[in-house]
Amino acid sequence: MANETTFDTREEVDFAIIGSGSAGGILAKELSTAGFSVVVLEQGPYRKAADFTHDELSVVFRSELHGGGNDVHGQTFRHHENETAVQPTDRAPIRYARGVGGSSVHFTANFWRLRPLDFKERSLLGPISGTNFADWPITYEELEPYYTKVDWEIGVSGAPGPFDAPRSKPFPMPPMPIKSSGVLLEKGAAALGLHAQAEPHAILSQPHNGRAGCVSCGYCMWYGCEAGAKSSTLAAMIPLAEASGNCEIRPDSTVIRIETNDKGKADQVVYLDINGVEQAQKAKAVVLSANGAETARLLLMSASTQHPDGLANSSGFVGRNLMHNAHALSIGVYEHPLNDYKGVQVSRIVHDFYDTDEKRGFYGGGGIDARPLFSATPIIHAMLGRDPNTPRWGKGFKDTMAHDFSRTLSIVGSTTSLALDSNNITLDPESKDAWGRPAIRATYMDHADDLAMAGFLEDRTAELHEAAGAEKLWRFGVHPTTGGEHLLGTCRMGDDPATSVVDSKHRSHDVPNLFICDGSSMVTSGRGQPTMTIMALAFRAADHIKAAATAGEI
Amino acid sequence: MNNPESLSRRGFLQSTGTLTGAAYLRMLAPGLAAITQAACSAKDEGMAFAILGADEARDFGAIAARIIPTTDTPGATEAGVIHFIDKAFAAEMSGQLEFARAGLAEFNDALGSEYASAAHLGDLSEDEQDAFLQTRETSGLFNLMWAMTVFGFFAMEKYGGNRDQVGWELIGFEGGHGPWQYPFGYYDAQVHGETNDGE
Repeated sequence: MANETTFDTREEVDFAIIGSGSAGGILAKELSTAGFSVVVLEQGPYRKAADFTHDELSVVFRSELHGGGNDVHGQTFRHHENETAVQPTDRAPIRYARGVGGSSVHFTANFWRLRPLDFKERSLLGPISGTNFADWPITYEELEPYYTKVDWEIGVSGAPGPFDAPRSKPFPMPPMPIKSSGVLLEKGAAALGLHAQAEPHAILSQPHNGRAGCVSCGYCMWYGCEAGAKSSTLAAMIPLAEASGNCEIRPDSTVIRIETNDKGKADQVVYLDINGVEQAQKAKAVVLSANGAETARLLLMSASTQHPDGLANSSGFVGRNLMHNAHALSIGVYEHPLNDYKGVQVSRIVHDFYDTDEKRGFYGGGGIDARPLFSATPIIHAMLGRDPNTPRWGKGFKDTMAHDFSRTLSIVGSTTSLALDSNNITLDPESKDAWGRPAIRATYMDHADDLAMAGFLEDRTAELHEAAGAEKLWRFGVHPTTGGEHLLGTCRMGDDPATSVVDSKHRSHDVPNLFICDGSSMVTSGRGQPTMTIMALAFRAADHIKAAATAGEI
Repeated sequence: MNNPESLSRRGFLQSTGTLTGAAYLRMLAPGLAAITQAACSAKDEGMAFAILGADEARDFGAIAARIIPTTDTPGATEAGVIHFIDKAFAAEMSGQLEFARAGLAEFNDALGSEYASAAHLGDLSEDEQDAFLQTRETSGLFNLMWAMTVFGFFAMEKYGGNRDQVGWELIGFEGGHGPWQYPFGYYDAQVHGETNDGE
């Protein structure tokens, strides 16, 4: 059914939403189905399920879903603020999917709730000097109903684990069946006295809400789902938003500025349309959900005489406290084929190391999962997943590929990242993207505790391989993070306008009709897999925005 | 972006599992998706090349054939990797063609210095070819050929290589035959109570 709802740019819609991803897609559906007029400005194209392919060359090596490589985006990276940021010619440091549904289209769909401790960890452990380690202004109990809403409305499969936070309703459907990677992780975990549990997924293990269940094609990580079984907002929310009759999804719209009037309220969103022509959508309120890097960049680009340091930035916190999570990895090869390239990536996880254990001597916690990772498709396996101690070419290379590809297992750790003012998103002073906007400059060096935790988990992953019977294994080594896909913390929530960008209901402290909700809202990083939290925050933000609008408070 | 110096500096020594390896490779392969119908029609026309001359095609093909040799299973030659390379140089990797040609000229010069009677890699025995290539492993040309051979051997057939999916068959990747039913491999088959030796 074609969506016929369109709005003129000069028509003052109730809400202009910037970004149609994990948060923007949910906000679009919630606000439009509540009767508000909504225009969603999405920079990328509007792909449908049938547009998604299994083309490794195009998707992985041509950045098809990223809107091209860094020659288009011009991003720069440096570890420290006293360095000049460098523009990588290959991969952009800040990576996300551009298109309707955002990164919920291409993510691996591993889905963890935060736990009660994540919201109050500073109160539990005390401050950490030199960091912006802080409590959230909300508790797990306040967000829990919205995690449950994500479970049922977005579509989450899983089963309870031994360390799970309380939940008000069960999972709506069983977990994805166990794979060989999961069987081996269970074996290793059992031998070490650890507790393997089912991985929750934003993937339907059976039909749900009129959508089909997973067909185990194996192309979850980095690809779009042609079955619509991966619970992107494209699959789960956008159709409902359009069916309301109140929502226009406007793709290929590259936002360059949010403008405010002389009363200090946001009144229009300026963007370049598909032909590169500047347009401006009028709106009574603006919801900014462009992801933790783009949201910060847009606010900084929207600086004006009223807001010289960037829109909504009286705190100076816009763009600061960027958190990527840190990672650890070891890869093993086993006697028999796993064929783990079939099906979803992960089926089992180990969360025994989630909590900070002060006896370790550093802050942090993490989760471990088992998956094919790079060995789900041939080319990336040849380049990254293959045993580095084997020949790179010739008969030895061929024989290793033939033997190892189907027998390879990755055990992955992901950890906390501490919030540091020195880790941030700023506007590059020289580089511009293809639209002429100042490019994203990412400054990032993991806190020593993040790297210590990654090293600790790397040791555990190697032990798990040995306990599971790997015939050989190799570690990736712990290296400073040079960018990432988890884009968190850059417009954090808080009660104090001096140290936060939005209040606990996602309203900007500075601009009363500007709401910001996406990964930038997160105060701490969690242990990995932040998308479920971003989606829960969006459902919760929507409730508050609806109530405020209805009460005439916007 | 297509800086020959940066290509040779980075090289392919980084098959060590650092993410820079893959990141580097992405630079080499912008926009290959448009190489589709041309590949099919070339196969029908008896392997005409889109852009490569006969000699350079033979030389690039010879390098590819040592990177993934023909053994008891098909190699780069049978997979049609040279047609992938040709199509890529004609289109989305056209920016690397000049670099590749310059690299091949250097390569053949070095070859002629070491083997007075050899004008082309294919003039040597296989053992000599391998020995010579070992001396060229850090060169920009070899690293480019390595990436294009891997692409050509394992990408979807529409790109001109991986003929009859011989690349996927080599490694047991049933890429064209999904989706799949559980159990998928040996270890989960044991749990599901069925036999699946995965072979």
